[in-house]
Amino acid sequence: MSSSTTQTDPTLIDRYQDFRTRRFLKHERTYAHSLPRWRTQSRRRALVVALAATFGFMAVVSVMCAFGIRWAPLLWLPACVVFFPLWIVLQIVSGRQGDAPQGALDEYEMQQRNSARSIGLTVTQYLMLLPIFYLIFGAVITGGTDVDMAYAGGLMATTVLLIGGCLPAMILGWIRPNPDAQL
Amino acid sequence: MSPVRRGAALPIHNRIGVLRAERAMTRVQLAELVEVNPQTVGALERGDHFPSLDLAFRICDVFGLPVEAVFSRTPFEPLSTELYSKPTQRGGEADVQFDHAD
Repeated sequence: MSSSTTQTDPTLIDRYQDFRTRRFLKHERTYAHSLPRWRTQSRRRALVVALAATFGFMAVVSVMCAFGIRWAPLLWLPACVVFFPLWIVLQIVSGRQGDAPQGALDEYEMQQRNSARSIGLTVTQYLMLLPIFYLIFGAVITGGTDVDMAYAGGLMATTVLLIGGCLPAMILGWIRPNPDAQL
Repeated sequence: MSPVRRGAALPIHNRIGVLRAERAMTRVQLAELVEVNPQTVGALERGDHFPSLDLAFRICDVFGLPVEAVFSRTPFEPLSTELYSKPTQRGGEADVQFDHAD
């Protein structure tokens, strides 16, 4: 339950949430009519698939770095070049529902956002075990002397955090129906 | 949060789509009146989302109807059937009583 419904005087958290909501609604008004052709479910799903492919590519790059391929880190740059536009477009066309403040969502949107976030957190927790165990066991086996392993572990952790951070928006972008079908 | 485990999810049927159509109201219009996203109205009509008590009351206020006229645990019959169904049992009893009176 929101604290604002149970307290008369708004707390620091309430004021911060109000600020976040106002800022979110302002950005929402700014981008509400941007990229109208990309707001359909099929286009959003295409963006989600492209993002998933980008994450897969990032994971492959991190593994290549782990094997000590000297030019492999350079592949991270094109991955980022692809990732950022895809992510920004998906955020715009899905209305940034994945990280929207509570005051900007109705009860159904809140329920969907919470479910998507819960899945994102769970996936992050499980996937993060991979770089953790890789770094722990790798450091023990090599005595902490393998620079490639540390670099690859960092890339793996970054990839997993990106996946976990983007997953709620990807899930919501995937499941939300077409706006036109609702009229 | 309640320490009691949640029971089996029971359905909440509604007549929002019918009532909206009766009043020639779009989902967008209803959504504006109850201050939710139009997609939420669609989810309510499809039965994908069961409304909170607050939202249920707001929807009922728009239609000017009591909660039991809009929401029910059991599936609704068509409004036309409820309004114009043939009075079989009561009519028969009345005939019998009328015969006895003669």
